Amino acid sequence: MSGPLLLQSLILGLLLGGLYALLAAGLTLYFGVMRVVMIAHSAFLILAAYLAWFFTAQTGLDPLLSLVITVPLFFAAGYGMQRALLSRLRPATLTMMSVLLTFAIALIIEGGLGYLFSGTQRRIQLGYSSASLELWGARIAVVKLVAFGLAAVSLLALYLLLKKTRFGQALRATIQHREAAQLLGIDTDRIAGFGFGLGLATAAVGGTALALDATIYPSLHWHWIGPLMAIIVIGGLGSIPGAAIAAILLGVTQSLLQIPMGTTWAQTVFYLALFATLMFRPQGFFGGRLAQRF
Amino acid sequence: MSSDPIKHSLATQNLTKAFGGVRAVDNATVSFHEGKINALIGPNGSGKTTFFNCVTGMIRPDSGTVTYQGRDVTGHAPHRIARAGLGRSFQLCRIFPRMTVLDNVLAGVRSTGLVHRLRGAHNPDDIARARELLARVGIEHLERSEARDISYGQQKLLELAGVLMAEPDTIMLDEPAGGVNPALIGRIATLVRELNAEGRTFVIVEHNMELVMSLSDHVVVFDRGRPIASGAPADVQNDPRVLEAYLGV
Amino acid sequence: MLSASRHKTATHQEGRTSSGRSVLVAKLVAAAVALGLVLAFPALAPDPFILSVGVVIASYAALAVAWNFVGGMTGYISLGHAAYSGLGGYGTALLVTEAGVNPWVSMIVAAVLVGVAAVPIGIASLRVRGASFVIVSIALVLILLLVAQSWSDVTGGSNGLRVPRPFGTDVLRPEQHERFFYLFVALTLVALVLWWVIDRSRLGTGLKAIREDEDKAQALGVPTFAYKLVVFVVSAFMTAMAGGMYALWFGSLDPIFQFSILTGSYLVLMSLLGGVRSLLGPVVGAVIVGYAVEFFKTQYGDTQLHLVALGLLLALVVLFMPDGVIPWVTAQFDRFRPGDTSIREVDAAQLAEERKALEEAKS
Ligand SMILES: Nc1ncnc2c1ncn2[C@@H]1O[C@H](COP(=O)(O)OP(=O)(O)O)[C@@H](O)[C@H]1O
Ligand SMILES: [Mg+2]
Repeated sequence: MSGPLLLQSLILGLLLGGLYALLAAGLTLYFGVMRVVMIAHSAFLILAAYLAWFFTAQTGLDPLLSLVITVPLFFAAGYGMQRALLSRLRPATLTMMSVLLTFAIALIIEGGLGYLFSGTQRRIQLGYSSASLELWGARIAVVKLVAFGLAAVSLLALYLLLKKTRFGQALRATIQHREAAQLLGIDTDRIAGFGFGLGLATAAVGGTALALDATIYPSLHWHWIGPLMAIIVIGGLGSIPGAAIAAILLGVTQSLLQIPMGTTWAQTVFYLALFATLMFRPQGFFGGRLAQRF
Repeated sequence: MSSDPIKHSLATQNLTKAFGGVRAVDNATVSFHEGKINALIGPNGSGKTTFFNCVTGMIRPDSGTVTYQGRDVTGHAPHRIARAGLGRSFQLCRIFPRMTVLDNVLAGVRSTGLVHRLRGAHNPDDIARARELLARVGIEHLERSEARDISYGQQKLLELAGVLMAEPDTIMLDEPAGGVNPALIGRIATLVRELNAEGRTFVIVEHNMELVMSLSDHVVVFDRGRPIASGAPADVQNDPRVLEAYLGV
Repeated sequence: MLSASRHKTATHQEGRTSSGRSVLVAKLVAAAVALGLVLAFPALAPDPFILSVGVVIASYAALAVAWNFVGGMTGYISLGHAAYSGLGGYGTALLVTEAGVNPWVSMIVAAVLVGVAAVPIGIASLRVRGASFVIVSIALVLILLLVAQSWSDVTGGSNGLRVPRPFGTDVLRPEQHERFFYLFVALTLVALVLWWVIDRSRLGTGLKAIREDEDKAQALGVPTFAYKLVVFVVSAFMTAMAGGMYALWFGSLDPIFQFSILTGSYLVLMSLLGGVRSLLGPVVGAVIVGYAVEFFKTQYGDTQLHLVALGLLLALVVLFMPDGVIPWVTAQFDRFRPGDTSIREVDAAQLAEERKALEEAKS
């Protein structure tokens, strides 16, 4: 394998991993605040990607501008979804029933997208679509850098929000120990709603980043949900830094394996890693004790 | 008090469990007297429930050991510890809400091997024993109700009957009198005394001091995750460290 | 007798035993009539198409009951049971085509292999609580789809894999449908008997306890992990049997349909709608949902709306009748029945009577 090619895969892997980290952050948040495996997360990613594509196709403006609309919209949708739907489920069966409910939402989104936009594959046409940079012989597409930048900025914002604000503190307290947080006077139900909103807001950003450099179609979310769920399990359910580390590692591994194995087989690395994690370290590798009982 | 040599069937060595920064159980070395009614008291949040969870295998301790009847059971799965003869109830009472009262008790049946386990759950032997226990705690007339439909006090009694079905030698009760009316507290106390007279060891977490003092033979006081005093009820009651822990000076 | 008397009919002492008995008789009669109707279906079906729809529904019934070994007994929801039916199908097909094994033997061998493969999968996904189980169940279908599509030397990829018919070419289409209809019904019955045996056993009580409160069950001494693993493997095996039978009937396999999340979610919807806690719930659900799915396909073809409909239905069931239609309907009836309190007290005389019956049973 040639040096530049290896370097190129490494860089692409890092960029991809950064994007994965953003896409998985939402899943970690939902699990953290409510112990919910949110199957519809990737469907919302694709929804955001479609909205970005539609926005650009209609207005001719840059798809990133669509975030001004989609981020608040998704935040509200997440808050509403938690308060109106998920909080109605009985605590005893919450984990399982929430999976089904969010699965149902994923189907509705997929079906709705297919109905409105047909199953045709779509792609955003950008002025800089085919531009790329050369770095020591490695070619890196500009759109990938933009997507990574978007992921980095949003993850940094998320980090600051969680660490530096009162809301973030309340959210982290809720994630760690809900009852204890309640004793501290935190309205954990509202916080859980906001946590969901925040999670879906990351889906808006992630979906837009995804749309920059991917061909999209309604059933694409199935392609994403598996790897993303693998990431959060490997990172340790409920741990955002854990998921980010796992995302980067898996992104790089996948990218490196693509050279000898091809894209399809390289995908299986997620599933193998997921399986190995559950076999040997069910609580995940980087994260939290939260996962022990889930 | 008899003058038998005191035996310790259940003991912990340097048991520690932290949640994030909070050391809920902190280097606790405790032993309980076999065949006696032991009480574990301490202010709220002093780690009593977490201690129970570590001992019964519900939580894996970060370090330290738990020994039961001379065997190291640290980190064993809860069902193995239960089968070794250590039964427990839960704070706030846990029953199977959507099973009948009778089935709740039958869930405690100890069975081994596939053939044994494929035997009908409603066989005459098991049912007879379950009814006996329900009668013993005084709720046999409710056997067909779903457990979620009976009162909280009755649920506590049901939980005890289920624990007894598993034939434990040692029973750990987490706040048995919490949220229960005085008449029922009396009934629970009588039951505990009777079961103890039959040879069962008890470890009871309880906030009702009157009950603790009248019921227990041996008291261990917890504060911030570790024992700060232990001894006969009367001695412990007058221990200045205990008063300090409770008054939070 | 005892199980019959456990059914609701509460407080009135005299009425109870006799009405318990009459409920049992009514149930048996209803079951016999239903079974008779099912068995007469091929003769009543107006054309081969309807008959083939019947076969599809019967296969769904077998799959849904198989699913319910895990779903109903432990409360662990698997969205990926298509993995086991798909593996059963491909295993059967490959054993027939590549190794020349007798089709029915192939079906059983493939199902056994799937059961064996389910052990490590179960170990990985059942040791910790529900969330990982769901994640693995979905991941498994996705990875198998990926593999089956890429590994086209073996699976035929999206060109499909042809499975020779087990009954020879002289047996015509309608006759094939009829035979497979009965075969699926028989498989469903076997699954139901097995489900019933486990459900009423001590194992079953332990499993129900797990469904209600896993920590508590463990604290009572129930070896929760082993129990879950047993029914999980049984479920995978029965699902693979149904999948293998489907392969033999349908005659051609395509990864997209074999390893489909949608198929898995149909099974969940069927069981949930019918009621996961009851023996016949999944069968009832399979008839309703299976019919609806086939109807939708013929009416609206392959539009995306069927996804929306499926999603809405699933959401409604989860939100408003998570126990299924059968319990929901019974509950509606109960609300209007006078004098039936939810607390079922039994009085002393009644207990004495039962004690006597028990003593007699023992001796
Ligand atoms: N699952 C948990 N996660 C985080 N902190 C916990 C958890 N369980 C208990 N704690 C904390 O551990 C300490 C001891 O709690 P606990 O054992 O319930 O005390 P007690 O039963 O004596 O009232 C408390 O500060 C409590 O907030
Ligand atoms: Mg406590």
